[in-house]
Amino acid sequence: MNTLLIILTAVAAGVTTYFIANKLNKGAVLASASVTLASGIAFPHFFPTMGSTLMVVAACASYGGMVSRKNAPTLGDMVMISVIIGMLFTITASSYAGIGGRLGTIAAISCFAWLGVKNSAKAASRARKSDFLSKSVEIWQ
Amino acid sequence: MTLDKTKSRILILAIVSTSLTWILNHQLGLGPIVANGLVGVAAAIFMPGALAGIAYTSSFVGMSSLGVLPSVVFALIGGLIAGIVIIATTEIYAGIGGKGGTTAAAAALVTRAISGLLG
Repeated sequence: MNTLLIILTAVAAGVTTYFIANKLNKGAVLASASVTLASGIAFPHFFPTMGSTLMVVAACASYGGMVSRKNAPTLGDMVMISVIIGMLFTITASSYAGIGGRLGTIAAISCFAWLGVKNSAKAASRARKSDFLSKSVEIWQ
Repeated sequence: MTLDKTKSRILILAIVSTSLTWILNHQLGLGPIVANGLVGVAAAIFMPGALAGIAYTSSFVGMSSLGVLPSVVFALIGGLIAGIVIIATTEIYAGIGGKGGTTAAAAALVTRAISGLLG
């Protein structure tokens, strides 16, 4: 239940940041900082028990939401990056606690992971196509 | 690395941003998330894009706990190291979300090593 809430928070924060930065064209810094500030004020107020964790997750996802349009062209990409951020956050909760930049590093790893998955899928699809073409040519010959 | 006007500005901005975040976080007790958000929003409103990004990245270092940055002096050192890392890595992985945080984590780890050496 907690993990699901963390992932949902990450998706909401990541998508909101991406939307403010790229669709409203307000810039990545303002988008991320405003989402971070809002989550730092709102989550502890509305969720007294889990608020402190959720605000950190939201900040982490907002750093991921600073990804450029070139690397994450659609909101779907951002949703997937945010899901990875939520899962990584849960797994690495106790690692490097207190180090400034830990959340940004989780965000960067998540972006790289999603780019890797996308590029691998593209490469596999290209390989399948060329294999299909070469087999078709063989049959035709 | 020669220190021209732009690089000096980046270093000063990084030091100010890290120290300000550290003060808001620990001295005023706002916590790392609100401190980072405040510095980021202020930077985005009052500075041009590139400088705001540098201020926001440096601000991540100021989010460190007292175990990593025990005093404002170490926050100043952390800011200086963050500035150096930013200057050295400007072109690397631009456009990846979290690049600033990774830069800040590197600076924070170096600062923690220095604070460990100084006792």
